[in-house]
Amino acid sequence: MKSLHQYHPIVIFFYFFVVIGLTMFYMHPVLLGISFLGAVLLSLFIQRKKFLSSLKWLLPFMFIAAIINPLITHNGEIILLYVNYQPITLEAIVYGFSMSVMLLSVVFWFGSFNEIMTSDKFLYLFGRISPAVALLISLTMRLIPLFFLQIKKITNAQRTIGMDPTTGSLWHRIKSAATIISILISWALENAIETADSMKARGYGLKNRSTFSLFKFDRADGIVTTVITCLFFVALISSYFGWNYFAYYPTFSTIELNMTTWIVFISYFALIMLPIVIELLEVLKWRSLKLNN
Amino acid sequence: MKTRKIISLLLLFVAIPAVLLIGIVLFNDGKYQIISMIVVILACIPFFLSFEKRRPDAREILVIAVMSAISVAGRAAFAWVPAFKPVTAFTAITGFKLGPEAGFLTGAVSAIASNILFGQGPWTPFQMFTWGILGYIAGLLGKTKWMDTKIGLILYGIFAGVLFSFIMDIWTVMSYDGAFSWARYIAAAGTALPFTITYALSNVVFLLLLTKPIGDKLERIKKKYGIMQPNS
Repeated sequence: MKSLHQYHPIVIFFYFFVVIGLTMFYMHPVLLGISFLGAVLLSLFIQRKKFLSSLKWLLPFMFIAAIINPLITHNGEIILLYVNYQPITLEAIVYGFSMSVMLLSVVFWFGSFNEIMTSDKFLYLFGRISPAVALLISLTMRLIPLFFLQIKKITNAQRTIGMDPTTGSLWHRIKSAATIISILISWALENAIETADSMKARGYGLKNRSTFSLFKFDRADGIVTTVITCLFFVALISSYFGWNYFAYYPTFSTIELNMTTWIVFISYFALIMLPIVIELLEVLKWRSLKLNN
Repeated sequence: MKTRKIISLLLLFVAIPAVLLIGIVLFNDGKYQIISMIVVILACIPFFLSFEKRRPDAREILVIAVMSAISVAGRAAFAWVPAFKPVTAFTAITGFKLGPEAGFLTGAVSAIASNILFGQGPWTPFQMFTWGILGYIAGLLGKTKWMDTKIGLILYGIFAGVLFSFIMDIWTVMSYDGAFSWARYIAAAGTALPFTITYALSNVVFLLLLTKPIGDKLERIKKKYGIMQPNS
């Protein structure tokens, strides 16, 4: 087996597509809890720092979003109190919190997705669907750092003739900065034409050109894809029969625990925990390697 | 040309209503956030497809890439002021000078590329579509004399700010409720009002400042190298 980052981009995309889609779809408290747990664990595994610092503004935001719901929605049967003659119901409060948990899970899943789906993998995937647009995006991504570098060069040159945007009166600064941007854009457009001609000279757009990529779909990719597909299929079937349905309004449905719901919960749990298991196995393998030597 | 048009028309009039219908029938408790995402992605496909099928010239691709990169760099440079972004202005200027298709691509690519830097999320398709459509509209308007006047630019800037906010608010509401509710939409639009005003204001400021100088540069490149001319 390999670590998460080494899997084929298609497998990674497929997994996150399935998980984020199902997370957005399920409002069942147990399934929400499983997805939330998985999102938090995976985030802690692969993007601990970013994840912990994002909590500072995410948690208060989601808390506010949760308490706004009972003020807007007055559905539900269990009335707790009246505000301005409008009932505040337990169902609306619980629904608000469930919604916030769902949104938080989606945001966390996307955070992990961004961490694993680096720009080269993203462009590789996009290039298979739409090569011209992928080329457009990858050129854009390359031009951004180039422009920042060029701004430094232009600024240095401008400084020698007294157009320094960091000194002088405010008007002088703005004028200098505007000149730099103007020079940058003229240069960028001319440079673009040169790049385009060079691309053409090297055969861009000719037939029978092959492309090179570092990604290989191997056995581990195949196994993981099969596992995801099977678990996704179980989820689809259970959605079709409504086994994972849960209503908040007019009042909560009961959570039944029988053979079918256990299958639903366990298969979903397996799907959610898949990347964490992969990462754990990897960590264990590295540790045992260290011990052996 | 013909097949491309048929595919686009099929997408617009068959696939999108079909998704809406299936969505409403299948998920009767309304999972509109997923449906709306699919619809928005489908709506972008005809534009990408027509670009793909045309086998665009390398120079054309590069010029669009430059404009997208500048707008992303602008978004990064203004990251410290919330909602005050030059992306719409750059997209619109590209649209004015290089036509609707280039406008759409600049907007959509700016959204994807800047989200590669700042993080993808469920909002990516919505930003792609909104900025793309704003570029497309700018391209159509650029063929008239309207956008040569200051009033035209100001009106377009306000319109663009409101439309951007409008679509993003719909996204907020749908992602929260799984359905669309007017009560929540009004609440969201109300809290987003300062952002809407900032969007509109930044659009107007950047359009008034940049349209003339950048437009001239694009015009010059077009003439000098004969790109994106109707007869080339």
